[in-house]
Amino acid sequence: MKALASLLVLACLAGCETAQVQPWERGTLARNEMQWQPDVMEAQIRDHIHYSKEASTGSAGAAGGGCGCN
Amino acid sequence: MPAKPRDTHPTLLALTSSALLLPAYQGARADAPPDFTEIGVSYSKYEEDDTQAGKTFGGSSERYEIDVAQFHLLAPVGDDWSVALDVQWEDMSGASPWFVGLSADGDPNVLMSGASIEDTRTSVSVTTRYYYDRGNTGLNFSYSDEDDYTSNAIALDTAFNSADGMTTYSAAISASSDDINPTQGATPTNTLDDNKDIRSAWIGVSRIISKRAILRFGLSYTYRDGFLTDPYKFNDSRPDERKEWALGGGYRQFFVGGNAALHADYRYFNDDWGIASHTVDLAWYQNIGSSTQLEPYFRYYNQGQADFFSNLVDFSEPYFADDYRLSAFGAITTGLRLRQELGDWTVNLTGERYTTSNDWSTYSGDESPGLVKYWRYSIGVDYAFR
Repeated sequence: MKALASLLVLACLAGCETAQVQPWERGTLARNEMQWQPDVMEAQIRDHIHYSKEASTGSAGAAGGGCGCN
Repeated sequence: MPAKPRDTHPTLLALTSSALLLPAYQGARADAPPDFTEIGVSYSKYEEDDTQAGKTFGGSSERYEIDVAQFHLLAPVGDDWSVALDVQWEDMSGASPWFVGLSADGDPNVLMSGASIEDTRTSVSVTTRYYYDRGNTGLNFSYSDEDDYTSNAIALDTAFNSADGMTTYSAAISASSDDINPTQGATPTNTLDDNKDIRSAWIGVSRIISKRAILRFGLSYTYRDGFLTDPYKFNDSRPDERKEWALGGGYRQFFVGGNAALHADYRYFNDDWGIASHTVDLAWYQNIGSSTQLEPYFRYYNQGQADFFSNLVDFSEPYFADDYRLSAFGAITTGLRLRQELGDWTVNLTGERYTTSNDWSTYSGDESPGLVKYWRYSIGVDYAFR
């Protein structure tokens, strides 16, 4: 049921109406600080620590491999 | 101040075609190969607080200290391909919670592993990516090796833009085979040699909301199968399967007047061990002039306990664990990051504090005496071969 609700949210988002932003108007969106992950190495170490010290993962990509982190 | 062209990723500016959604593990940021090669190195110091004297048998005890070195390379290959290489080395030492028992006062106390654990970990990740007119597809291989743990993982991801470039649909799948060979030392282990497999899938969609805002949602499912018990914890027996769901959303907004960007992310997690959690991430990227950026950030994590978690485990039950990571707790991270551009060089400095408390969780459950708190400091340097 939760999965179904999630899919509905995704479908709704995909179909939502927003004003067209032309390609030449997307310079701000292309700025480094507007990226989902502005710094790869910083994102990697944060994810790795949280994976090691908490019980939750996921939502921004597939899981990949594990580690023996204690 | 208006956006400065120098701060804009040239590939993205040239392309400007999509809603820019890409999976977390890759690092590419565009729908076309990068215009130039980028390399980066980083060093981090991770230090956990000592355990509290009143919650530890034998008084307070040191916990983990970890040195981490990272290397990142992203390079174009021909007109339509890129390759990324990420390497991470870790050198760790310290003690880890072994089990929880009752003190003379009747309170749960943790007994640490005693003799200092020494371990090193090396992980290597290679991603090749092919770019086509309306998207890209990447293939990733990751290898991680520790004294007592080896993991091999492969992942495939793809992103596809709508015709108007306002929406990007993404998907990823991964498979991992992990081997566990606990180091035999002062304390007995729960296995000598075992393994587990991880299968994961993810779908996502992102949408340009305006010239200065973008939104995304993602849904992931992960299935773990095999030896999921912690080999080093005395009171630990876990199911050999785990099914996890995570639903996440993200938002980015640029404020022209303030010359700053807001990052807001949320994740809901749920699994068949009874664990649920909410995570909120907030960050403010404040540009100062054209080459300096200050990023204060805040994270709140709110976790419920596993069905089989208890400080004082019941050995008559098939599954039990006193691992603090399966307990109900809340965690707050506050951090500050400085980014300074110096021509083609970029220097990053980060400091963050992570604290935990059972009181900060909205879920019910006993407080574990083993909850962790830590400091982390990082320094990194990137170079762009423009």
